[in-house]
Amino acid sequence: MKLWRCILLTPKNNLLIGVIIALLIATSYNIGANPVDFVKGLPNLAIIASEMTAVEPSLFVTAFWSMFETIQMAFIGTIVGIVISLPLSMLAARNLNSKYVYVPIRAILAAIRTFPSILWAILFVIMVGLGPFSGVLAIIMYTIGFVTKLQYESIETIDSDPMDAVRSIGVSKLQLIRYVVLPESAPHLLSQMLYMFDYNVRQTSILGLVGAGGIGFYIINYIKFFEYGKAVVFMLVVLFVVLVIDWVSVKIRDKYIVKSQHGIEVTTT
Amino acid sequence: MELLQITSSSDFPLISTKKIVQMNNVHASYDSKNHILKEITLSIDRGTIYVIIGQSGSGKSTLLKLMNGMMIPSKGTVKIDYQTPNINDPKFKSLMHNIGYIPQSLGLIKNITVLENTLIGALPRLGKIHALLKIFPEEEIREAKKILKQVGLEGKEYRKAYMLSGGEKRRVAIARAFMQKPTLLLADEIVSELDSVTAREIMNLIADAQKTMNLTAIMVHHDLQLALEYANRVAVIKEGEKILEIGIEGDKIVDFQTGNLATDEIMEMYSTDTKK
Ligand SMILES: Nc1ncnc2c1ncn2[C@@H]1O[C@H](COP(=O)(O)OP(=O)(O)O)[C@@H](O)[C@H]1O
Ligand SMILES: [Mg+2]
Repeated sequence: MKLWRCILLTPKNNLLIGVIIALLIATSYNIGANPVDFVKGLPNLAIIASEMTAVEPSLFVTAFWSMFETIQMAFIGTIVGIVISLPLSMLAARNLNSKYVYVPIRAILAAIRTFPSILWAILFVIMVGLGPFSGVLAIIMYTIGFVTKLQYESIETIDSDPMDAVRSIGVSKLQLIRYVVLPESAPHLLSQMLYMFDYNVRQTSILGLVGAGGIGFYIINYIKFFEYGKAVVFMLVVLFVVLVIDWVSVKIRDKYIVKSQHGIEVTTT
Repeated sequence: MELLQITSSSDFPLISTKKIVQMNNVHASYDSKNHILKEITLSIDRGTIYVIIGQSGSGKSTLLKLMNGMMIPSKGTVKIDYQTPNINDPKFKSLMHNIGYIPQSLGLIKNITVLENTLIGALPRLGKIHALLKIFPEEEIREAKKILKQVGLEGKEYRKAYMLSGGEKRRVAIARAFMQKPTLLLADEIVSELDSVTAREIMNLIADAQKTMNLTAIMVHHDLQLALEYANRVAVIKEGEKILEIGIEGDKIVDFQTGNLATDEIMEMYSTDTKK
């Protein structure tokens, strides 16, 4: 009885679920999704998997070096991107500016965000040629579009009381940013920086697919020539490094960010 | 005619220099439809403690914001030291430097130290580059430490603000305002939610400053009892209108708005009113 109650929702909900299922079937048909193909393809996966076990350990050194390049690209891209997004987010925050300032800035940022990093990479490969530099430029653009949004949103959540108290001393806007906005939003900004670096390392790993440097370049080329045993070395290195970065950023977050955010919560008397 | 000549030849304006705040028939609203404040007329003597009480939502905080220029009246005039307060007016800025404003939840920066919070009050006296780099002159740091000692926070200068108790946080907010070398202090419910001992300690700090620094303190309170104990004048606001302005004259409570003695009946009514 009770189970039926759960399944038989209100007529309106049933209709909604029906519509979603119908859409799912229709779109699957349109994109040519075929479960039979999937099952037929499973043996191929087994072949690749068995070829992948033929790991070529001699390549690990190259793999680590190319991963190192990837990390450097992500690092430069993240830092430069954040340095550019900080002033931009101050201009895009509604609680600091008139709408004549933040509306155009937000429009530009929204336009930047419509491009995924791989499209930026293609654009910069065309502009400055193959290699890691175009990858770095792509990461910078992506970081600007993304981090600025995160930052102005956290700036807008700053408590208005410290702003009012300090603003009414008659300080300049720059001083207001320096003494209220930055310290009040610092934990968020730091957390976003870590998150972005973490994310950029993953992104940079695939930018090589379009020739924008980093480890992805090797992976795509070995896969193209069916050398799965070599590709897997590089994939393992990506996996390993991403896990390490993940672990490190969790540690940093626990140590610096969770603690100070806890402090923010303890404001009641 | 003769009167005008006197004023123009004299350095002192004819209007009494005793008044630091003058409000004349002030109306204020947030949405240009509902008037939050109506027909407020008041004047506050320099060097006095003036307390505003009233139920929550009656417009007390709004009244304070009119005085530091965070709000502009929709009708009527507000004068602080004969200037019209407006936070965006560069002409008012030099006056703002010496108006301490403590908002209802104090407005401290939680992640920085007590000393740094206090030093914010000295920002108008710093050069642009120094302010940006957070380089405070030695004498300002000494002054800040002196003020922190005065408000009872000696030894806690390097604590982060969020680690403090409610009473200590209020002391920091007061220290920041004192650091401005204020002529006027606007404090919004600074002693609400405190136990009566701590509340009196905080009020004593302000009363001392009133005497030693010739400070004018305009404070929003909840408790009429405490208000009358410290204030020269107490204004009662109800639904955006000033309905009473009382003070203690000798051993009597006088209603200065009407010139009559406030009856016990009225007093009782408002003391229970404000406790709600
Ligand atoms: N920023 C605001 N926007 C719109 N209405 C507001 C705003 N601040 C206060 N009000 C309204 O103005 C009235 C008076 O508020 P306030 O001055 O804060 O009262 P009090 O301090 O006496 O509790 C309240 O009805 C409140 O809802
Ligand atoms: Mg209030």
